[in-house]
Amino acid sequence: MRLGYDERSAAVLVFPVLAVLLVVAAFPIVYSFWVSLHDIVLTRPLRRPFVGFDNYLRIFDDARFWTAVSRTTVYTVVCVVVTTLLAVLVALLLNEVFPGQRLLSALLLVPWATPSVVNGLMWKWIYDPTYGLLNGLLVQVGLLERYRVWLSDPDITLLLIANAAIWKQMPLAALLMIVTMKAIPEDLYRAARVDGANVWQRFVHVTLPALRPGLMLVLVYETMISIRHFDLFLIMTQGGPGDASFTLSWLIYVETFRSLRFGTGAAMSYVLAITTFALSWAVIRFLGKRL
Amino acid sequence: MKRPLAPRLTRGILLAFFSAIFVMYVFGPVAWLVSSSLQTEAQITGVPPNWLPPTPSLANFEAIFAASDRVVTYENRQAGEALTSTFLPSGAANLLPAMRNSLVVGAWVAVLNLLLSVTAAYAIAVIDFRGRRATLYVALATRVVPDIALVVPLFLVIRNLGLINSLGALVVTYLAITVPFTVFILISYFEGIPRDLYRAARIDGCGHGRALWHVYLPLSLPALVASVTFAFLTSWNEFVFALVLTQNVAAQTLPIIISGFIMDFTTSFSFVNAAGVIAIIPPVLMAVVFQRYIVSGLTAGAVKG
Repeated sequence: MRLGYDERSAAVLVFPVLAVLLVVAAFPIVYSFWVSLHDIVLTRPLRRPFVGFDNYLRIFDDARFWTAVSRTTVYTVVCVVVTTLLAVLVALLLNEVFPGQRLLSALLLVPWATPSVVNGLMWKWIYDPTYGLLNGLLVQVGLLERYRVWLSDPDITLLLIANAAIWKQMPLAALLMIVTMKAIPEDLYRAARVDGANVWQRFVHVTLPALRPGLMLVLVYETMISIRHFDLFLIMTQGGPGDASFTLSWLIYVETFRSLRFGTGAAMSYVLAITTFALSWAVIRFLGKRL
Repeated sequence: MKRPLAPRLTRGILLAFFSAIFVMYVFGPVAWLVSSSLQTEAQITGVPPNWLPPTPSLANFEAIFAASDRVVTYENRQAGEALTSTFLPSGAANLLPAMRNSLVVGAWVAVLNLLLSVTAAYAIAVIDFRGRRATLYVALATRVVPDIALVVPLFLVIRNLGLINSLGALVVTYLAITVPFTVFILISYFEGIPRDLYRAARIDGCGHGRALWHVYLPLSLPALVASVTFAFLTSWNEFVFALVLTQNVAAQTLPIIISGFIMDFTTSFSFVNAAGVIAIIPPVLMAVVFQRYIVSGLTAGAVKG
């Protein structure tokens, strides 16, 4: 079969991208599955027997896995819900026209552009029990009687890490909400005013329904992102104190690079990847009907 | 038509109030980081904290840039006094080389990402060929897999290729992260360019190469700027892959060196904060300068739904 000029050009133009993705993305994904079916431990390099799905079964018997599932669930729900709420509020503010609005919009990109390592460093310094800003501020304002520990308190450590994550990922969500808001025809608000709707009624009956596509996108994206967070956990708590911030991605890291059990590490990776995929699919299906 | 004074005043006060909260939330933490980086170790360990540097000084930054001239030995490390901010971690000399690595990798990723994405996006958006949608979906699907899940097999692949601890391995890895998203942005941009321009160019005898060069590229400057910024930022900020794929200062990037300081208990906070400020300046500057392009680029896909 002879290909036309169009098809030959397309093949040439698309080939480099496909080649890169094949080597650095597609092949590793498939290779990872092969690894997950073998008992590969790096400290025992010569014997790597095929064990079928044993690695997967072993995960589900592992108490650490279930701890990690519950930590990840709490963390992800907090991140997604708070990020989305904040994004809507920020979008409502920045969608108004007022002097200084452009400056605020520029500032919004600061957290987005901050490297996650610096984000972790910054908040770790703010939460510092002896010299941190949080203690200093709360004591000076009188909300707190004396300095206390923050990240070392197992009851709140997940929430404090989530706060750092939310600070960084809220801007993109807010931008998406602003774009969605800008697309709402002004006529709808005028009509609602004529019908005597107040600010709150206009928000609930005009803005909120029109935000649906934007909200969908933000919810799915934030879920996919939050469930896989890793950088902040490594820098701020290393899964601790105890197992208070022991999430799935931290478990994968420990299993692979500290215990050097690549087989089970790869199996866990697959479980996390499939869960992420299934969750985003479920969110789209479920909210697609509800919202 | 001017509305009455009272509601306008209420609106003004509300806007000012929420703007103030917004600025404190978004910019406060960074301002505090910058403020601490300008203080000495004795000043940042004050209780209550010094909100503003009592005597602003660039000593921490000078220490970073002079670190490569200092040989850290057991003796002068012991002699260094933690509270005078002259105390340097043994890895301090790695900061400048790491910054160079970050810049080199970022520049390569920005350039190669643009080359690869522009050609692929043009083909998918403009040329009618079998499998054009499938190509896009395959590219986007690779991004559904969490990074931490990709790290393990990628480490094995790169190790078998003998490319561990090389800048090239980082560049190729980051391309796999940036290209799918960039292609997606550029496609939605190219599809917005009137097709008549393309037909006219083809009738005048332009091949695809010249149609891309003379018609599409000049018209999509904002999207190209957004792509370059996005690719550089992603590369500059990336952490997990760099952590696993690099081993020493020959290839380690800025986030890796800084994370090493953070986890080293003996490092002075004033020093780490200064390193953090250095890492934050290029991406934040780029983001603010190219704000308009970035916003339209990041939200390009969302508008179409």
